[in-house]
Amino acid sequence: MDNQSDLSTGNQINPATKLQDTDDWQVLSPVAILYFTVSVFKHLFGNIIYLIPVLVVSYKSVLEHPLVWLPAISVVFVLLTLFAFASFKVYRYRLTEDNIEIRSGIFSKKHLNLPFSRVQNIKIEQPIYYRFTGHACLQLDTAGSAKSEAKLIAIKLDFAQQLKMQIQSQVQTDTTATRQHNMSTSTAELTTDAAGDQKYKSQQEKVLNQRKLSDLVIHGITSNRIWIFLGGLAPFYDNIFNAISEWLSTLGIDLTELFSLQTHSLFEVGLYVLSLTMLVVLVLVGFSVMGAIVSFYGYTLSKLDDKYIRRSGLFTKHEVSMRLSRLQMIVQKQDWLDVLLKRINLKFEQTNAFSQNQDSSATSNKIIVPSIKVAESQALIDDAYTNNELNALICSHGFSAISKRFILRNVVFVLMPMWLIMISGAIRNNNLIAVLLISLLFAGLCALVVLRWKRWGIARDEHFVYLRKGLIGVDYYCFPTHKVQQTQFKQNLLMKKRQLATVKFVLASGALKVPMIPERLAYQLIDESLYQVQSCQKSWM
Amino acid sequence: MSATHISNSTVPAEQLPTILALDKQFLSEQYAPLNRLLNLALILLICALGTALYFQPIINLPIDFLHALPYIVWGVAIFGFINTWYSYACDQVKSYTLRELDLHYSSGLFFKNVVSQPITRIQHIELKRGPIERKVGLATLQVFSAGGDMHTFQIPGLPVATAQQIRQFILQHKDVVKHG
Repeated sequence: MDNQSDLSTGNQINPATKLQDTDDWQVLSPVAILYFTVSVFKHLFGNIIYLIPVLVVSYKSVLEHPLVWLPAISVVFVLLTLFAFASFKVYRYRLTEDNIEIRSGIFSKKHLNLPFSRVQNIKIEQPIYYRFTGHACLQLDTAGSAKSEAKLIAIKLDFAQQLKMQIQSQVQTDTTATRQHNMSTSTAELTTDAAGDQKYKSQQEKVLNQRKLSDLVIHGITSNRIWIFLGGLAPFYDNIFNAISEWLSTLGIDLTELFSLQTHSLFEVGLYVLSLTMLVVLVLVGFSVMGAIVSFYGYTLSKLDDKYIRRSGLFTKHEVSMRLSRLQMIVQKQDWLDVLLKRINLKFEQTNAFSQNQDSSATSNKIIVPSIKVAESQALIDDAYTNNELNALICSHGFSAISKRFILRNVVFVLMPMWLIMISGAIRNNNLIAVLLISLLFAGLCALVVLRWKRWGIARDEHFVYLRKGLIGVDYYCFPTHKVQQTQFKQNLLMKKRQLATVKFVLASGALKVPMIPERLAYQLIDESLYQVQSCQKSWM
Repeated sequence: MSATHISNSTVPAEQLPTILALDKQFLSEQYAPLNRLLNLALILLICALGTALYFQPIINLPIDFLHALPYIVWGVAIFGFINTWYSYACDQVKSYTLRELDLHYSSGLFFKNVVSQPITRIQHIELKRGPIERKVGLATLQVFSAGGDMHTFQIPGLPVATAQQIRQFILQHKDVVKHG
């Protein structure tokens, strides 16, 4: 290690001056070829998994013709190496005062610009083969997308560190400037603000919500974990049924005997089926409750300064924390059972972009508060978003509904054709029961469409946009207008004739759509949100 | 949060800039014909391959497939032709607008679609040029926001100079330089 640092400091006389002098396009160090080669092969072998079945099937015949596959493989290797070399040759980067530019691509040329002020995360990566040369890769993450972030390959390790410091300091000054500008709490959370954390530690955490065991039981019953569980078990149905019937027969119960209509009356068999289903459902609900308890045992939601912290877990304790400024949207979810029991699942959603590369757990980017009562939910929402009017809107039914043509469109253009096709097939076969069943299904689906229409609605005030959505249950979405990333306006010719339009709001936590609202409202919604985003100068995170 | 007050309540809704009246800039004149050419070439290639497959003596194909092949080729040809015509018509109405504070991209013939991207929410920018685009001097501008991969704002078929100008405009924009 000593050797390397000597070497690298020898190469770079003064990194600070070097940083300013990089206004020209830079070529990578030739060591980068190694990285490109490795990544090309990694990519290839990542995809080769799909080829394995083919190889296994034909591997005998493949082995019999070494004159074919040996040259083929070597040609592929040569081509890939050439590709890696060419990738290296066309790669250029340039650092200016406040942004980084990267040009790459052999066939399709790419030219990327990344302002330093937008960098969310900086990672220095040193692959094992770079340890000997003292090189490293600097990866700059923006929240822009998961995969195509900027990566500087094979730069000297201390240069990478220097660069990292410089960019971070720039981000920091930027954010402090913003903070002074509007006194908002929107601070970009840097990886290096451990010092800040220490300072906060002295303050007391305020517990906002706790869940009792009974709440978790309710959550287990209402949440649809059962279906996830059933879906996961699907491949093993056969085995499970065999095992169960074997086990039952050791107890002296014969299933085929039990359900045989020859020895029992229809009523009796029906009763057996019913009680068996009840039993199965009971067992599954039991699993679901257990699942809820395992993941939410000892649930506390607390607030420390502007940070929400969720702790829970029976075996593994999970802790998820989220800055208030990172909160993108609050979702209040109620399934049909929740509606009956008057419980709410509240979700605090933040950006999707970080969870993909930081944490493997999919739930870590949102904070969920399971099965709380309506008043508690409202208190939490009010705590996060002061002066929001979600509750008032729900009570006064202040949502503007979407057009009734939504029902017409889905019934006439989607369900009707399917129904007609199926029913004509059934009539041709003279299968009256099928006709009846299909029509019943059709009627049921139409009813669902009506319900869907009834649930869908939108409302807005000065600071927030509220959305109501659902099928049998009701979900409410609430987000501050200035968190919008992008808007979309959609309208087909039929909708234009009726002066209707669909609006889509893209947020960092996902997109929300409202179909078939009056065109004028759609324009207003988009114009106002764009105006809010641009005028209030608040950061989205 | 409660301390943040910005004086923005005075603008009445009628005076807001609206996306209803966008000053539309159309894409490069080369874009639509080029796309049509590429589409036609692709269909011709598929049809030629199908025809070659039908007449070639080397590989023994299942007889059913062989019988169906002419229909498939005709189907591809007809569908491809209609599709080419339709997408050509669509390409001609694609347009973009660059306002002081946001970018817009309108498209769609029967299904109209306007995507609006505030510049202050842009995370990074990419200029993409495939081999054919480079031949004719076109470029695709991609703008990434925190909305994720699915919602990358993209303007295809821009003349390179225009694309560069838009990029410079965005990069030098005060919203990009200052605020996260």
